[in-house]
Amino acid sequence: MDFFFQLFSDPVGFWNSHTLLIAQIGINGILATSMFVVLFSGQLSLAAPGFMAVGAYTSVLMGLYWHTPLAFGIAAGTVLAGVLGILVGLPVLRLRGVFLAIATIGFVEALRLGVILNLPITGEGLGLKNPSADPLGGINLILVSFVVVVFVAWRLSKGRLGHAWAAIRQDEIAALSQGIHVARYKMIAFVLSAVMAGFAGGLEAHLNFFVDPGDTQYGVTRAVQILTFAVLGGSGFVLGPVVGALFVTLLPWIFAAAGPYINIVSGAFLIAIIVFRPQGIVGRGGLAVIRPSWWPRARASAPSTG
Amino acid sequence: MDQQLLNAIFIGSIYALFAVGYTLVFGVLDILNLAHSAVFMLGAAVTYSLVMNHGQSFWVACILGIAVSGFMGLVIEHVCLRPLRRRQAPPIAALISTIGLALIIVAAIEQGQPGQFFAWLWVDGPNSVAFPSGTIPNPTWHVGDLTLEASKVAIIPISIVLMLVLGYGIRYTQVGRGLRAVAENPRAARLMGLDVDRMISLTLVISSALGGLAGILFGVALGDISPYIGRDNVEVRGLAVIVLGGMGSIPGAVVGGYLLGLIEVAALVTLGSNARGGVAFAALFLMLILRPQGLFGAQLRERI
Amino acid sequence: MKRLRLVCVAVATIVVAACGSTGGSSGTSTNSYAGKVIKLGAILSITGAGSVYGPQSQNGMMLAVKQINASGGINGATIDLTVKDDASDKAQSAQVAQTMIQADQDLALLGPTLSNSAVAVHPLAESLKTPILAVSTTGINIVPDCNFPDTTPCKYVFRDSLGEQTAIPDNIQSYANDAHPKTGVLLVAQDDKFSSDGGTIVQNTVGQYGISLLKTIKFNKAEADLSPYVTQAVQLKPDVIFITSLGGIPAKIMTEARKQGWQGQFLGGNGFNTATVSAQAGAAGKGARSASAWYIGNTFPSNAGFVSAYKAEYSKDPDQFAAQGYTGIEILADAAKRANLTFTDLAGDRDKLRAAMETVNIQSPLGPFQFTSSHDVNQPVWVIAMDGNGGFTLVHEIKGS
Repeated sequence: MDFFFQLFSDPVGFWNSHTLLIAQIGINGILATSMFVVLFSGQLSLAAPGFMAVGAYTSVLMGLYWHTPLAFGIAAGTVLAGVLGILVGLPVLRLRGVFLAIATIGFVEALRLGVILNLPITGEGLGLKNPSADPLGGINLILVSFVVVVFVAWRLSKGRLGHAWAAIRQDEIAALSQGIHVARYKMIAFVLSAVMAGFAGGLEAHLNFFVDPGDTQYGVTRAVQILTFAVLGGSGFVLGPVVGALFVTLLPWIFAAAGPYINIVSGAFLIAIIVFRPQGIVGRGGLAVIRPSWWPRARASAPSTG
Repeated sequence: MDQQLLNAIFIGSIYALFAVGYTLVFGVLDILNLAHSAVFMLGAAVTYSLVMNHGQSFWVACILGIAVSGFMGLVIEHVCLRPLRRRQAPPIAALISTIGLALIIVAAIEQGQPGQFFAWLWVDGPNSVAFPSGTIPNPTWHVGDLTLEASKVAIIPISIVLMLVLGYGIRYTQVGRGLRAVAENPRAARLMGLDVDRMISLTLVISSALGGLAGILFGVALGDISPYIGRDNVEVRGLAVIVLGGMGSIPGAVVGGYLLGLIEVAALVTLGSNARGGVAFAALFLMLILRPQGLFGAQLRERI
Repeated sequence: MKRLRLVCVAVATIVVAACGSTGGSSGTSTNSYAGKVIKLGAILSITGAGSVYGPQSQNGMMLAVKQINASGGINGATIDLTVKDDASDKAQSAQVAQTMIQADQDLALLGPTLSNSAVAVHPLAESLKTPILAVSTTGINIVPDCNFPDTTPCKYVFRDSLGEQTAIPDNIQSYANDAHPKTGVLLVAQDDKFSSDGGTIVQNTVGQYGISLLKTIKFNKAEADLSPYVTQAVQLKPDVIFITSLGGIPAKIMTEARKQGWQGQFLGGNGFNTATVSAQAGAAGKGARSASAWYIGNTFPSNAGFVSAYKAEYSKDPDQFAAQGYTGIEILADAAKRANLTFTDLAGDRDKLRAAMETVNIQSPLGPFQFTSSHDVNQPVWVIAMDGNGGFTLVHEIKGS
């Protein structure tokens, strides 16, 4: 607990000695928001790491070969991720529920193992070195980006898009019959999520001196981790996944006493939350977002918290 | 016949055996049991530990390993699935609770070090170990150009027999009919007097026992046992297999397993050894887009 | 992530305080070191693929720290060495390094064990201006160009582990002179830097010794089923199979190749050079050759003492990794002694230590040790062969330049 002690007693010192940790929290927050967007619209997409990889590799490659400034490379990576989001979304969004999840996993692994691992330009298995990384300098950009992304997601979820998404996640067919262009709104959510993930990937690449196609970076393990942010935090409200991200990233520090058993604690938390508080820490809807029309409704007296 | 074809068949058998458990649970419960790969690993780890650290004979250890895996099926049911069913949770919730249990199982083995809490279970921590040669009789035969290793050859009849038995059981026994009833419509099954909870427990036990056995065969034939063999080798490939074969279809899982083994080795030989990893997922992705029900699955209904 | 915290306590400080400073260099204000603590951090692969190497490095380091602290420390200052595990994972290695540099405020770092992790850790240490000494990484572009493809030399990165660029060609040349092989196949884990670098060096060198490389077979290090790759190699019937991987992979390949009936010669890299790998390979690995930066029977002045102390402490023989870890601490201790540390200005002290490291000149179990102008190492090479029983025999000694 001396982690928190330092946080409150010596904020400046804390900032200086934990800069990289704070930056990682910011990036995880952006990823969590990307997850929020798809889950809010009723889609269980695990494609975020694939788009992260696109954002990361694009910005690093541009920096290596064309010597573009950092912001330009990240912007390009983000745009490319969005384009890929459209290409992947078109065939994939016809699928529902667990089939969509599996298809997105297939995309992530096909990109990682099939494409990135085999292209000489991406450095194949070794990945790429990123000499223009700036771990300490990137913190401000990351924190500002994080706030902006969360704000954008919040405004969208409150507006017309948000209402359409909520209707779609409740009952796709009913939404269709109300005249909502379901396919278009689902695509918008998917592409928006891809853009955010690509952006986070580009930012993260500039914290590290390398990008590589490892499983913990851009594979299924990462996808599960991001999903955990949303589940623990609750995906009914934009801050839910962000809180989840904060909690999960800090878990090893909070439970430092658990030491090497931290993963057991994480797994136990996951089970406990999904069973006893499926709406997540923040609540307001939580996993009710993915409920098929024929599944029996929860009891009318189900507790809902705010 | 080429040695590579043999390689494909051996690894395909393991994929098939693993996928059968996966698809069984999906067929009966509509749930993807993501703790299955952890049970796969646990079967291998427990068997190894019993032989190396507790002095059991290999055959006794195998039986105990399978029993422990089957028992994990009960754990999955009682910890991850039943509480959710009681609370009317959506199926996606089960995906997540099984992920949580998988994390716990892998972490427990990972932390099994001498002198630590889990040392009774496993002492090699995150490292990769193998049965020392000589633990199991494993003669190697040379037939023409081919090398046949007993442990690998044995996988084929074991897998096929088990899959046939399972198929027969599901189709022709009363218990099997009960399982199919639950798969069709759990509410109706309950109304007709079937003990749905018990059927579900049975499904998980059978599925997990098969998964554990697949893990033991993997550990023996490939000489690699570590906390990560599930995650690295079969977890995501298992998904590819059941998608190829049709989710919920047991013959589909079998055919899909061998098909994947063949596709991988073919890609390795023709496209270069690098292609092996990615080809499974390219196949998965394509199958989901072109024919989501897989080779043997029924037309997808509006289920989520 | 396993955290091992080793505090080598100053029994010595009491001794020193009572008896005054023992020996050591003069000139600098040695008294300002008395009672101070020199914090060092080591990032090692205690678990994961590199776990066949990491613990030996750790043992060597701990032995050196214990000996130094027991004989008066560094002008009265004690060494506090913390060893943390990076689980052989690049991303985790970077996180551990960042924690050690920023949060723990270590003066200097040692490691990481694997070249693959060094790709992440060394540039990070360089950018955070912390001296780091590699004790087992032998890949290319480790020193001096840790930020490759940027060729600016990295000022804070050093290594005491002889590179593959020297070791592999020496090994190939030695076998070519003995047996005149004609053909070879290369098996390489293409997602690991050490393995991949070794593979590149093999590809660039075999032609010079009359060996034709029939095929390069790449695979991923996490892949458990290596039989299709081995089959591909064996079906080409080469004289030599080059294995540049590390961890458990060499033993698996060798066992599988022998099972498939191949009788030729295995040639490897640094990854072979530890008893665990030789034991794993067992009879299949008998005769497999590699070039090592250290041999237990070498006749350098400080080697015999090191070997007997190690055996007394750990009840087993040291290996190359233990020797390099031990030497690593000796190097840092010597530099710290001459660096005129203030113990109050961390950034300044790190710079002073870095400068002092460049002029290190000591006797070590690896032989007389000095850094080259590229912060690299230049020393004899011993060609060794696995003996089929978990050990090695000496084949040749090749002098350094």
